[in-house]
Amino acid sequence: MKAAAVARDVAARLTETDSIGLNATLDWSADLLDREAARVDAMPAPMPLHAMPVALKDNIVTIEQPSTCASKILEGYVSPFNATAVERLRAAGAMMACKANMDEFAMGSSTENSAYGRVKNPIDHSRVPGGSSGGSAALVAAGVVPVALGSETGGSVRQPASFCGIVGVKPSYGRVSRYGLIAFGSSLDCISVFGNNVANAAAVLGVMSGHDPLDATTSPIPSLPLAPVDLPDLKGLVVGLPREYYPADLDPGVRAGLDRTIAAVRAQGAELREVSLPHSKYAVPTYYIVAPAEAASNLARFDGVRYGLRRLKDGDDVADMYRRTRGEGFGPEVRRRILVGTYVLSAGYYDAYYGKAQAVRALIAEDFRKVFAAGVDLLLTPTTPTPAFKAGEKADDPVSMYYADVFVCAISLAGLPAMSLPVGRSQGLPIGAQIIAPMFAEQRMLAAAQVLERVVSATEEVR
Amino acid sequence: MSGISRDDVLHVARLSALEVPEAELDHLVAQMKSIVAMVEQLNEVSVEGKATPFNAGPTQAELRPDVVAPQPLAHPLAAMAPGFAGDFFAVPRHTAMEEA
Repeated sequence: MKAAAVARDVAARLTETDSIGLNATLDWSADLLDREAARVDAMPAPMPLHAMPVALKDNIVTIEQPSTCASKILEGYVSPFNATAVERLRAAGAMMACKANMDEFAMGSSTENSAYGRVKNPIDHSRVPGGSSGGSAALVAAGVVPVALGSETGGSVRQPASFCGIVGVKPSYGRVSRYGLIAFGSSLDCISVFGNNVANAAAVLGVMSGHDPLDATTSPIPSLPLAPVDLPDLKGLVVGLPREYYPADLDPGVRAGLDRTIAAVRAQGAELREVSLPHSKYAVPTYYIVAPAEAASNLARFDGVRYGLRRLKDGDDVADMYRRTRGEGFGPEVRRRILVGTYVLSAGYYDAYYGKAQAVRALIAEDFRKVFAAGVDLLLTPTTPTPAFKAGEKADDPVSMYYADVFVCAISLAGLPAMSLPVGRSQGLPIGAQIIAPMFAEQRMLAAAQVLERVVSATEEVR
Repeated sequence: MSGISRDDVLHVARLSALEVPEAELDHLVAQMKSIVAMVEQLNEVSVEGKATPFNAGPTQAELRPDVVAPQPLAHPLAAMAPGFAGDFFAVPRHTAMEEA
């Protein structure tokens, strides 16, 4: 199919999605899509992602569209360079379809923290799509684009993938360049992928992966292939079930979805083994020290001097300008995290909070290493403790919101690859199963996910 | 330590160069208290002699050649900066040194 025809279809779907008020898009235009299509149609075919439309979370920069991180402080900001991930996708024939709404600066679990309004879950508009990459997830779930880029700091792709009933893949830390991903928590941030199926997500991940001289934290190991190995079944694999991820108070629908997935894993010939990750229960408190500390440093660059918003009153000096610009430019959740981050790094508290969190982070990662070293190939857990919650339900209770990420956070702290696979619905709401792999074992994870995708219905009711 | 006070919040707001509206302060203090109380669960964990430092990235970073080269920019700095004069970012005058 000609890219021009794909571009017209995508523009029509974007218009429709905007008109029903999903609020998943930020900047897009039919003109830009046409230009993308003309560029792709002029390429020598076949390209690996020929004419594939991709939505981009608004913290991934491009030179042709504003990159605002859904924040007032970056209103109208257009980057002077493209993210490496964008360069690689474009070179592989993909078309940049639109910028997607998100929690401001990727801080949130419901995409209610955007300066441009909340994103609705396409399955049930009264519910959140998850976050922080909720706009990207909603656009894939609504069938507007087959794939979208999000970013993960502590689960911001797997959690919305679970809430929206789609595939969400977080690669190993260092697998995909962070160049052009506006920084939140630099030791955690990973550009990640949503897909309408495993194969499309794997193809996009394969194209983006690999060392980048512009990001010294990318791994020098070879890139991922564009397609997972096609396994007939799961024979020979040992799949671990960490008991801490199946608590007694797990939502019954989530439990039913996982029971069904575990039965499928067994039926496909894998050996199941109960394992323990005792420090994972400290992942949320650890994360809410490490991530805000890194955010407080990274977000210091937004000061009204070089780009973005400037707020100034008559008589203000430069220090007043910093305070006013940042106070008015950042939303409440971002301000809160900057303050928490500064607090845990401040004199007298650094060792008690930040130092301690770094030590616990090491223990969390060590738990995973031990389990994998004992012969477990993959881990299987729920992605989230409940299906998508109602908009507004946790809006005034930050700690309760943070615990929406209780099953995804530890993996981010350990830098591991993991993904969410849709495994059914409970009372109409999607349930996600999380597959976790050892460092840089994305191929094994994606191959197993593709087997499960064939045998576990993504849309059937589980109880 | 979860007795984080109004003064603590004002202190870190000053360190963060962040204006906090007076009307939001009480609510913010309450929320920060609950967040700090949550992260203090880590006090239960003994880390003595156990923690091997965790490094998320590759063990050895591959460095670029140390060559000065102008970064190719699609848009000039003047187009991005809220204030730009000549070759400089323009900011208001600095009236006093900030207190620590």
